[in-house]
Amino acid sequence: MSQPRIPAAEPSWGKRADLDVLNRDIPRIDGPDKVTGRAVYTHDVRIPGMLYAALLRHPVPRALVESIDVSAAEALPGVVHVLQVKEAGDELRYSGDDSVLAVVSAETPEAARDGVRAIVVKAENLEPVVDTERAKEADAPLVNYRRRADSNVAGSRARGDEEKVKGAIDASAKSVEVSVEIPTQHHVCLETHGHVIHPKGEGERSVVYASTQMVSQHGGQLVRPLGLENGQGDKVHVLTPHMGGGFGSKFGAGVEGMLCARIARETGRPVHLMLSRADEFAMGGNRSGSKQTLKLAGDADGKFTAIHVVAERHGGQGGGAFAGAPYQYEVPEVYLDAKSVKTAADSNRAMRAPGHPQASFGMETAVDMLAYETGVDPLTIRKRNLAAKMQRRQLDRVAAEIGWDEHPNKLAPGVPENGIGVGIGFGVCRWTPGGRRARCNVTVRPDGSVVSATATQDLGTGARTYVAAIVAEELGLEVGQVTARIGDSDLPPNVASGGSVTTGSSAPAIKDAAHNAREALEALLEDVLGAEVGDYVWKAGRVHAVGDPERSLAWKEVCALLRQPLEVSGQFQQSLYEGRILGAQAAKVEVDTMTGRVKVLKMVAIQDQGLPLNRMALRSQINGGMIQALSYGLLEQRVFDKEDGFLLSDNLQLYKIAGAQEMPEMVSIIDDSEERDSVCGMAEAPIIPGQSAIANAIYNACGVRMTRMPFTPDNVLTAIHGSV
Amino acid sequence: MADPNQSAPEGRDPHSGGPALSRRSFLKGAGGVAAAGGALSAQAQAQSAEAATAVQTMRGTVEVTLQINGQARTLRCEPRTTLLSALRDRLEPALTGAKQVCDIGSCGACTVIIDGKPAYSCLTLAVQCRGKEVTTVEGLGSPEAMSDVQEAFCAKDGMMCGFCTPGFVVATHAALDRNPEADLEELKYELSGNICRCGTYPHVFDAARAAQAARHDGGEGK
Ligand code: FES
Ligand code: FES
Repeated sequence: MSQPRIPAAEPSWGKRADLDVLNRDIPRIDGPDKVTGRAVYTHDVRIPGMLYAALLRHPVPRALVESIDVSAAEALPGVVHVLQVKEAGDELRYSGDDSVLAVVSAETPEAARDGVRAIVVKAENLEPVVDTERAKEADAPLVNYRRRADSNVAGSRARGDEEKVKGAIDASAKSVEVSVEIPTQHHVCLETHGHVIHPKGEGERSVVYASTQMVSQHGGQLVRPLGLENGQGDKVHVLTPHMGGGFGSKFGAGVEGMLCARIARETGRPVHLMLSRADEFAMGGNRSGSKQTLKLAGDADGKFTAIHVVAERHGGQGGGAFAGAPYQYEVPEVYLDAKSVKTAADSNRAMRAPGHPQASFGMETAVDMLAYETGVDPLTIRKRNLAAKMQRRQLDRVAAEIGWDEHPNKLAPGVPENGIGVGIGFGVCRWTPGGRRARCNVTVRPDGSVVSATATQDLGTGARTYVAAIVAEELGLEVGQVTARIGDSDLPPNVASGGSVTTGSSAPAIKDAAHNAREALEALLEDVLGAEVGDYVWKAGRVHAVGDPERSLAWKEVCALLRQPLEVSGQFQQSLYEGRILGAQAAKVEVDTMTGRVKVLKMVAIQDQGLPLNRMALRSQINGGMIQALSYGLLEQRVFDKEDGFLLSDNLQLYKIAGAQEMPEMVSIIDDSEERDSVCGMAEAPIIPGQSAIANAIYNACGVRMTRMPFTPDNVLTAIHGSV
Repeated sequence: MADPNQSAPEGRDPHSGGPALSRRSFLKGAGGVAAAGGALSAQAQAQSAEAATAVQTMRGTVEVTLQINGQARTLRCEPRTTLLSALRDRLEPALTGAKQVCDIGSCGACTVIIDGKPAYSCLTLAVQCRGKEVTTVEGLGSPEAMSDVQEAFCAKDGMMCGFCTPGFVVATHAALDRNPEADLEELKYELSGNICRCGTYPHVFDAARAAQAARHDGGEGK
């Protein structure tokens, strides 16, 4: 790799007015592949001789295996391999990956499923313990499998002086108390988890197609199951050309990945093991549920004085996530007691802003209640208790957009006419998107072609597009002139995509590489155009010296000066990144108090971030955040049968997510008020407050406080009448 | 593998366009378990008994020739193989644009057009499609020559991860062909058989509206 010159200047994003590519609406470069079916996802990988694998899961969380007979499965035509995962005498301890009894691999998907059906299992089912209330009882079976654990309640931690906080609440002019319940949500990636593993893909290397959020790091876990030694990670080549969503659920190979690798090794054949939709619900992860009791107090003007929060995290076998208290707002006296209640349900995983929508729902509910209790309107009380001026401005902006000024119900909820009420509610969000070490290579060839390469993955965010666009901006090219290469573990390493770190890490590295490429080319131009490195203008496919636009070269002419391909690398630069973002949202709803139906009429979000790399993709993501929150608020909840432990909501008919008919009018505003000269991710923030704003809007419409999600007709009617 | 000689259901003309499958024989073929008789009304019992004698069970693999994207494509599959699986798992080379997301007709990611009508290919048996015109997302356009709807999806960012996108593209084509004057509410209705987890609906609506407007301005779409 040749790096002809020491960079003369630090890379910078430049003035927004000067940008030709970034900060605009850029059509995704993989759009044409995605809209025509040409894009190949892991699900779509087809390799000659490939086996299809299917899992057999025990249908309830806890059981003692008495026997597993796979002989009939093995004898079926088309069945090639049966991997027995559990043995007689094994204890199944929780729902999900511990329920996998066997994997059948066959020539066709039908034969694999036949094989699964042909396995005979005898087991004694045990009390399932999927209900958190039951798990807390003294005589409940212990499903907290941590060493030395003696209770299903774990990780209890209290913060703050409880007596002092109680005293402050009693001494305050106004206070409210509320208990809220937030269900477990699933990620519902439309592409389920899974792999296609080709054990002898390239000579001595195994090729692993994976639907993963960490293409750079993914291979490590598969080394052992593939029969390799530690340190032979270079013998595993991971590819994620496209992926159908992740939302936090796709870190690591998972049990399914390990099993896929093992079967590939044992059969010597490529294996396609993608979870079925039912498997995905049972073992693909979830956002933990929560129960919280909040007491919030304030003075006569609605300035908060103290908060007391007792919270439970419901993460099944996981610890659960809860973003703490006070959430977002300033409260001087705080007491928080948060603990985790373990059940035999599968573990929660990271899900877009882990713990935040739960904390938002509790806090925004209490804030809203205190507003009406104090006689200060819900917009004003929020502005009064937020530290950042920007967020107060954002609230005004969404209020104006949703029609708050003209809205009649400001200090008290409306009275439904003919049973129908219309209301408005608010919520705020904040996130700290990370920025970590990442690398990128840029190659410029004498024929003028440009490749920008980094081992990131595009979860649907548009990452692939900015891998090209940032380089195009720097070199005065069009996006289409730069080829982006991502989704390949052989490329320069990049971060796992979690916590909105991808853009904050990748974009600076790409910018740095592009900057280095530009300076290397400028070094060649000294003899031709006469200016020093750093004194050129690259625009519209040409370059000229600053102040001398008459003498210029076309891009192809510049590249023709290269005797060999120019290859430069770049890495994460702290100066190009800054991670803190704020936002606010408003929702307007119509509530039919006769039927309990809630229709969201309009949602508005404003979101700031650093330099918007691709405004259109940003609006897509802000919309997506609002829609996922709307879906969580109105429709989603995981349902277990408490008695036997069957997961009842394991398909898309019973676990419903929002569709076209639920879509309100949506307004996504990119906050350009601070022109920060930095870049960061932003996907987590807009998913945080939507369900809170909708609940507050329901109250504002008709005076019914929804403390339990989702706001389905039966939950709404129960809130109105005490029962359906 | 199953007996390759058993190319047609016993006793039936293999060119007759496929057997009329009843729910009962379908369940039998799929290895499922029929519902307990006691739950069925007398009339339904009589009907299913009649169907059971009229229809023979298909087993093994059959050769089917399907008209896919204007080409005759021949493949071997089982009677119970869905059109979706035939496209994705049996065709050589495979057509993987239609996605398998739920496999039970609740997401729309597998949508194709059969004889001009949108259909869930996961709920359609491949053998039922003999003699019918099947159009998949690949048949509507290619990256080099996109259809008007595909162009509009790109221009309006009607996709994020893109896994639902082929289904939405096909459904949008079908919707605009069926109801060229659809207003936004009607479009929402037409697209309500498809779901998107990333939350692209607003931009999908924009794309559909843009394609619709372009058809009005510039005549018929592709
Ligand atoms: S896969 Fe056919 S409708 Fe979901
Ligand atoms: S774009 Fe990801 S599911 Fe629709």
